[in-house]
Amino acid sequence: MLALGLLFGAVTLIVMFSGMPIAFSLGVVAVGFMYFFMPSASLDTVTQNVYEEMASITLLSIPLFILKGAAIGKSPAGRDLYLALHVWMSKVPGGLGIANVFACALFAAMAGSSPATCSAIGSAGIPEMRRRGYSPGFAAGIIAAGGTLGILLPPSITMILYAVAAEQSLGRLFLAGIGPGVLLVALFAFYAAYRYRKEHRAAQAAYTAHGTESAYLDDTVYTAREKFEMLPRVVPFVVLLIGVMVALYGGYATPSETAGLGAVLALALIALVYGIWRPRDLSPILASALRESTMLMFIIGMSLLYSYVMSYLHISQAAAAWIVALHLTKWLLLATILLLVVVLGFFLPPVSIILMTVPILLPPIKAAGFDLVWFGILMTIVMEMGLIHPPVGLNIFVIRNVAPDIPLRDVIFGVFPFVGLMALAIVLICLVPGIATWFPNALMGPPGR
Amino acid sequence: MAPWLAPLDRVLRLLNRTAIVIGMVALFASALVLTYSVFSRYFWKSATDWQDEAAVFLLVGSIFLCGAYVQSFRGHVGIEAIASILPPAVNRVRMVFVDLLTFLFCTFFAWKSWTLFHEAWVDRQTTSSTWAPPLSIPYGLMAFGMSLLALQVLLQLFAQFERGGRAP
Repeated sequence: MLALGLLFGAVTLIVMFSGMPIAFSLGVVAVGFMYFFMPSASLDTVTQNVYEEMASITLLSIPLFILKGAAIGKSPAGRDLYLALHVWMSKVPGGLGIANVFACALFAAMAGSSPATCSAIGSAGIPEMRRRGYSPGFAAGIIAAGGTLGILLPPSITMILYAVAAEQSLGRLFLAGIGPGVLLVALFAFYAAYRYRKEHRAAQAAYTAHGTESAYLDDTVYTAREKFEMLPRVVPFVVLLIGVMVALYGGYATPSETAGLGAVLALALIALVYGIWRPRDLSPILASALRESTMLMFIIGMSLLYSYVMSYLHISQAAAAWIVALHLTKWLLLATILLLVVVLGFFLPPVSIILMTVPILLPPIKAAGFDLVWFGILMTIVMEMGLIHPPVGLNIFVIRNVAPDIPLRDVIFGVFPFVGLMALAIVLICLVPGIATWFPNALMGPPGR
Repeated sequence: MAPWLAPLDRVLRLLNRTAIVIGMVALFASALVLTYSVFSRYFWKSATDWQDEAAVFLLVGSIFLCGAYVQSFRGHVGIEAIASILPPAVNRVRMVFVDLLTFLFCTFFAWKSWTLFHEAWVDRQTTSSTWAPPLSIPYGLMAFGMSLLALQVLLQLFAQFERGGRAP
């Protein structure tokens, strides 16, 4: 069976690396193996399988979360949020960098998309940070890393998929993402403050030694009036963020209803705050949400078919049994699995990684006694790292679009410290699992109740 | 685009434009349906037995209908890492191979979807809920969407051949 599994893996790699769209690659491999290794009747149920797997209201909340993100992402909400935080944090040393991290976190929680966060906050934040003397790589690193919080903070599409694939409570997973999300925000903010002080000291020394002027040494002071003027445009979106969470955890709405309600509220808010309500204003938002949803849901549908074939042919089970038979120590097993996810993240989007690997990885993880919600959070952070490290690093390319004059080399070197901070967060969450599990346990009771 | 391909191209453009408009309306409608579900349950205390299924039908339908539109600008993502290192001639063969395999898969999927639709229509299959809407609706949308997608890929495949023929 393991030989069949190796053949399955090899064929998948060949077809995927041929450049065929991921969705169709997975479909082709699944149908090919059905033809050769499964009863011929199974080919007759291919479409029914795909439909039945896709017709889950939890999975189909994804297009609605994307619509909510597109509504907020395509409005000036990101710019306003960023400006408000910048004005309010102007007194804090390194406050501009920290404001960017906070803006990314809040925007990511509202929009639920990493590239949208990078684009919305980066287009205002990167030029401002550079104008204030921040080195280009540092400015790009803050935004690229801050954007990754989109798949960790609720509502996260990655977590919806993990919840479906691992059969875990979505509400519990969403809550479990909050602690690690706050930890990452804190680590990024501390690093931003540290790096600011370092660059500020260098600018000060250069000024003292040679009289070299630097924008770092200019201080801008905002009046209380300026600070309060920024609030009216931001408060409604923060209310949206809180309102959606209350609807979900207050028991008023299911996750899919929350997605629908969130999308409608986001559209209503951009209509009220920015006057974006005419069909010609709304059609780019709906079209962009539909494009992304279609692409993603095709991958999800075909990944589910692919997983079904893997399971039917006992490939997942054999691969899982093989991993268990290696008798790795608990932590070595975890490290190996996370390393595998890192490598897969070089080439594949998180959606495919989850649906293709979870059936194989979860049995050994469960056998080793790890909590599956906690593991889902670790896996998500590892996939976040994939968003900012080469060769794929989607967020790096979003930054290149927002600030094309920053050389790629600077962007890559700028994000490396943040990759290190994410690795540190993983170690901390392994040492103190409560960072992820305390919040869901406190609000929803211990797992299994 | 060769003159003999132009009519197919025009028809597909029109169909894709129509599909995206229908898809946008369906996406918005599904958000409204689920919002209504929350309000009807808490304010009017009425049963919410049809909303989830209606949203599923709307969303599945819009996704399959728009598959061809996304393919028209090659929006279905793939791993293109190898394309940049291959010699141009080999890369052309690769692209034809990819489109051919995609076309065969989409055609197979469309064929099986029509079969499924036919069965659901003839047997008057419905979902198992109390609302029990006919399954021929989502199956039909899936079959139509996948057929459109297969045609879109076929057009792109012909365009590849045409470009390959002109290449030195």
